[in-house]
Amino acid sequence: MMQLVTLEVNGEQHEIAVEADGALLAVLRDGLGLIGTKRGCDTGGCGCCTVLVDGRAVYSCMMYTLSAQGRKITTIEGLAADGKLDPLQEAFVNTGAVQCGYCTCGFIMVAKQLLSETNNPDEDAIRHAIAGNLCRCTGYHKIVEAIRLAAKGG
Amino acid sequence: MSLRQLKEFCIPGDWAEVDAQLGRYGARAFVLAGGSFVHGLDARGLLHEVEALIDIRNLGLDYIRAESGGLRIGATTTFAHLQAAPTLGESPWLGALADALACPPRQIRNVATVGGSVAASCPYFDPPTALMALDARVAVVAGGARREFPLGELFAGTFENSLRRGEIIVELFLPRPTGRSASAFLKLEGNANDLAIVNCAASLEIDAQGRCSEARIALGGGVGDAIARATSAERLLQGRVADDEVLWSAAEAVGEDIDPHTDHRASAAYRLAVAKVLTRRALTCALARSARTPT
Repeated sequence: MMQLVTLEVNGEQHEIAVEADGALLAVLRDGLGLIGTKRGCDTGGCGCCTVLVDGRAVYSCMMYTLSAQGRKITTIEGLAADGKLDPLQEAFVNTGAVQCGYCTCGFIMVAKQLLSETNNPDEDAIRHAIAGNLCRCTGYHKIVEAIRLAAKGG
Repeated sequence: MSLRQLKEFCIPGDWAEVDAQLGRYGARAFVLAGGSFVHGLDARGLLHEVEALIDIRNLGLDYIRAESGGLRIGATTTFAHLQAAPTLGESPWLGALADALACPPRQIRNVATVGGSVAASCPYFDPPTALMALDARVAVVAGGARREFPLGELFAGTFENSLRRGEIIVELFLPRPTGRSASAFLKLEGNANDLAIVNCAASLEIDAQGRCSEARIALGGGVGDAIARATSAERLLQGRVADDEVLWSAAEAVGEDIDPHTDHRASAAYRLAVAKVLTRRALTCALARSARTPT
């Protein structure tokens, strides 16, 4: 059963027909072509589908699209909308916090919420903030370093 | 997410709309708040007949009210909202709830709701175990009529609650203990984003002579079909000074109150051993917090 929905994604309004039980992740990737948000476990266990809804990190694989109506959705594509990388993206590049890269967007989005709440998180706060995201390559050290670097202004 | 019979997803703005939808779909309506565990229920084949999802987020149930008699929490209050409430950090008696809310990852805390977490009747969740130890009461409404009952009566089995048709959880109430009181929650998990192997919450009220005038212990994880109250352990603490010997005895007694099972996370024997350790540690932590609490 399809339902028509208006979504605000990265500041743009989209009117789109979605499955009533469709996950936000599917609409972002398959409906709007925003493939920076990754599909991983599809059960809220890995974090690579993390996006911001009203500034808060959520697993887009577990959120019904229709629950996202009237809320501001931000994906990784929305961070560098004006062509300039977000300080978090720059910090991930500069610290080499990326290996295969599949989890990276999820880490950046959850870190985005963290840095919107505090500009000087210690290592414990950073590690706690990214506890819902898995990386199978880096061992997390460089990711923590990148978030700390971004917090310091890059 | 694949609810094959689904015909409608609605977000009612008032109770009349809720009642109309419930009237239209009856038992084939499923109420959700945060919705973060709906996929989990669906994956277990529990939602095959659902024709309507009713998202109750816009009914004004997102509130936290600290009153002299206790704490009222609206059903659609998210874990993150509750976690940020000043009263949680300032009240040792709510320590177990603060501990438990810190366990789920941020992406879950931002979405999952207090009402949804208990309605799911999942014994592996963390906040419900804390709420059990805090003697929570559940308020539900159906067609304008309201009733309240102890949280333990909500849990009919794993993923099975005792709500009657058309009833919706609207509030949880935590009664403020009298005297010096504190609580604590602990969890053992496989990784930072996993459900509990075992979790435990302990709440103690200490009288002027330093004795436990009240003790409540709840355990979750794979220790039974529902969150269990460790009444044998509680009885051992009642009226006694909780010294090391009493704490060890109480922890040992937990074995009489739980029925651990074996699954991919842990064996029953391991769960039993962990349950005893977590009980002792949660009691020790609650006791230490109570010592820092003014009478």
